[in-house]
Amino acid sequence: MADTSTDHSAAAGIDLSQFYQVFFEEAGENLENMEQLLLELDIEAADDEEMNAIFRCAHSIKGGAATFGFSDVAELTHQMETLLDKLRRHELVPTPPMVDVLLQSGDALKAMLGRHQGSGGEEVDTSGLLFNIRAMVAGEAPPAAEAPVAKAQVPAAQAPVAAAATAATTGKRIVELRVGPLNDLSQADNLVDLFKEITDLGTIEPLPDDPSLDATRRFKVETASAESELLDLFTFHVAREQVAFLPYGDAATPAAPAAQAEASEKGYGFFDDAPGAPAAAQPVAPVSAVEPQQPKPATAVAKPAAPKAEKPAAALEASTIRVSVEKVDQLINLVGELVITQAMLAQNSRGLDPVVYQQLVTGLTDLDRNTRDLQEAVMSIRMIPMSTVFSRFPRMLRDLANKLGKKVELVTQGEATELDKGLVEKITDPLTHLVRNSCDHGVEMPADRIANGKPEVGTITLAASHQGGSIVIEVRDDGRGLSREKLLRKAREKGIDAPDSLTDSEVWNLIFAPGFSTADVVTDVSGRGVGMDVVKKNITSLGGTVEIDSAEGYGMRVAVRLPLTLAIMDGMSVGVGEEVYILPLSSVVESFQVSQEMVKTIGGSGRVVEVRDEYMPVIELEKVFQVPRFDWEHNSGIMVVVEAESGRVALLVDELLGQQQVVVKNLETNYRKVNDVSGATIMGDGRVALILDVGSLVRRSRH
Amino acid sequence: MHSILAVDDSASMRQMVSFTLKSAGYNVVEAVDGQDAYEKAQGRSFDLVLTDQNMPRMDGISLTKKLRESPQFKTTPILMLTTESSDQMKQAGRAAGATGWLVKPFDPTKLIEVIQKVIR
Amino acid sequence: MGMMEKLDVQADLAREYLTFRLGDEEYGIDILKVQEIRGYENPTRIANAPHFLKGVVNLRGTIVPIVDLRMRFGCSSAEYNAFTVSIILHIGQRTIGVVVDSVSDVMEIPAEAMRPAPEMTSAIEATYIRGLAQVGERMVILLDIESMLMSQDMGLVD
Repeated sequence: MADTSTDHSAAAGIDLSQFYQVFFEEAGENLENMEQLLLELDIEAADDEEMNAIFRCAHSIKGGAATFGFSDVAELTHQMETLLDKLRRHELVPTPPMVDVLLQSGDALKAMLGRHQGSGGEEVDTSGLLFNIRAMVAGEAPPAAEAPVAKAQVPAAQAPVAAAATAATTGKRIVELRVGPLNDLSQADNLVDLFKEITDLGTIEPLPDDPSLDATRRFKVETASAESELLDLFTFHVAREQVAFLPYGDAATPAAPAAQAEASEKGYGFFDDAPGAPAAAQPVAPVSAVEPQQPKPATAVAKPAAPKAEKPAAALEASTIRVSVEKVDQLINLVGELVITQAMLAQNSRGLDPVVYQQLVTGLTDLDRNTRDLQEAVMSIRMIPMSTVFSRFPRMLRDLANKLGKKVELVTQGEATELDKGLVEKITDPLTHLVRNSCDHGVEMPADRIANGKPEVGTITLAASHQGGSIVIEVRDDGRGLSREKLLRKAREKGIDAPDSLTDSEVWNLIFAPGFSTADVVTDVSGRGVGMDVVKKNITSLGGTVEIDSAEGYGMRVAVRLPLTLAIMDGMSVGVGEEVYILPLSSVVESFQVSQEMVKTIGGSGRVVEVRDEYMPVIELEKVFQVPRFDWEHNSGIMVVVEAESGRVALLVDELLGQQQVVVKNLETNYRKVNDVSGATIMGDGRVALILDVGSLVRRSRH
Repeated sequence: MHSILAVDDSASMRQMVSFTLKSAGYNVVEAVDGQDAYEKAQGRSFDLVLTDQNMPRMDGISLTKKLRESPQFKTTPILMLTTESSDQMKQAGRAAGATGWLVKPFDPTKLIEVIQKVIR
Repeated sequence: MGMMEKLDVQADLAREYLTFRLGDEEYGIDILKVQEIRGYENPTRIANAPHFLKGVVNLRGTIVPIVDLRMRFGCSSAEYNAFTVSIILHIGQRTIGVVVDSVSDVMEIPAEAMRPAPEMTSAIEATYIRGLAQVGERMVILLDIESMLMSQDMGLVD
């Protein structure tokens, strides 16, 4: 819930808070847009249209913030707008520090808006940013460190200190402002300038000096701002003790000079003799036929499609429709259930005589095809382009590279590649870690790169593509790559068995061993000390795989492979006792029949089976899941070899039941995480079958 | 019933203005920028045009100029919604043929007050 | 807090209770938590779960765990026949099913009819018993089914 604004909402009995949500969304989009434009800005050859666009972003936020009473946001955006205005008029030349301060201001605005929306967080102190922006506007270079608010030392003032900062913002009022005693009377001019720069501050006019007051200037100020706010601003230029607010209209003061044009008090005005102006006796324009206009309800959730009467401005608006996530998820659930019901019908109708029930059977076949098509179409609704994942990296990389003193360029490929919405949130953290790694450990310092005959600016590439039923996301860099020697040494230090006979790719995979983290410099805000092992675990839990490739001196490539969607999976069903279990088809390597003699015991506990020339650990699903047996004949005669986390095991089952697409259901919703189980599904007969977590089964075999 | 063309690239501003005006009994047509407004103005007239200044594609001043070129809008009141009341703005507005200006931020009451002065 | 005070706290409302039988005893639970009543179907077993957690079933596309209350309460027998009933409950954000012998009816139990349960050892900890209600000839044990199902030893919650 947004906090209430100040004056405006009470006016005209119109509750402005109904527009807040739209404003917040709009402001959010403007901020994102502005950040992107700032990051893409070429300082040396700044495009006019780009500068205008950035200006408009700030301007738009300011307009809304001021109208709806978010004055902190309005103030900061106003300052940004002033700077941007000068930049777009070429009165100032853009510099990297300017871009930095604008980016930081964008962050501050995001935080402030978040607070107004009720998402909590600390209060944002914008004084440093405001100070820096002002300095830049004035053509000075801002100090490198945070700018302190300068408070000049002052002799005991004669003017009384301004009243306690409890003055409420209760609409416009007129006060007398006294500034002094001043060493330099022109300091008071700065205050006048303030009012010029910040129009919503109010108006200020000089008053004749009072001879009884030494070196003091007097002004008539009309303002709706609290005295404390004004003081905060004034104290950039004069000391707090030199400022005094007095009620206006003190009889002792001489008559003030004629007030400015009424426009500044009324906030509107008309041009004399302009067409349509009220003073002129203009004939009323003929009333045209009323064009029916559908009102747009200002709902936060599920904005309806734009009514046909309105032509969208940007081409993009015309072809998209906004729908709430809950509606999409519900749609997906319903289709999932339809798939299950259809499968049940298909199964139950298998025994029907196709001649007698010809129409029914044909109908069911059609239903099968329709359901499949519907399912594909619906799943694709959840697919969103990778660009949404990639969008945060330019900024993150820029900040990180700056901090580390490195020069890095980010290249993205395949932004249009789509992936399931559910994956997007989960893939962001692991990818962030990989990009950080490349920047931190991969890309060398500029001087080192030059010394090695490389270009000074390193390149990190993020590439996404579809391959088969998966999406592959790569993080590549042209840095120093991995050192086989170092990794082997480190592994041995940690007591990991690392003989020289390991292949390169096996050596690279050592990075994923728990606790291996190569001196991870935790420079990020989250400070979670994430290691590559966590990245791998995250990816595996999504049903994906990670591969590393590297050439020392040239760079490194990490490829993350993920199933296209979390919700539906190709499964192989196996029978153990009376129970059915599902294996992800993508993890099944092969299967074969076994007899008891082929399974050997090692060391009294582990069992292995010979597969071609190697011995593979055996996991008896009957034992793992304590499946009850009702006849005492040992029925398990099939081995299914599965692979996960660079390891393979052979699962001992009774029989292979079939392959089918399964809708993955969550166990944790109503129950809890179950060991060795990654989810559940509903079979054609309506019963629940558990989907096995192959990774965790493989890990079992390693102990 | 009087018709007003409200032009602003900010959706929240458009909504606020639209709601306010409709509540006061006016019919409102919204446009997202100068270009959109100009297209919507073709072949019809309005009792009043309210336009923001800084917009993509075509800004408020250009819109005002273009509207004044067509017969239906020669005498239509056109009010600029502006975030500043500088002399520079006033000159540009007057030169383009605007009727007057209203400074942002404004509250709904003021909006109605000003509109009632120009729409008879 | 003594039993009397506990009753006072709960005595503000007369609530409606769904009553059911477990063995020889009759229990009542807050009707507002009941989503629906179904027959018993064989759940899919979950390994290493407590013995009273029979497994999970498919409830119109949602996976729901099933707890056999007769086993939980240590009743002498727990049969599964045509009369066995599953009560599907909505507890917090979760949907959970409990198996009982049969369902009786829904009754409104006024606060005056509630009495504290006597101190005695039973399979059900006293904390889960809201009180005893005498309704005509029947004695109904009123359960705080939510606390019970959400407790650690039920094994439903991580």
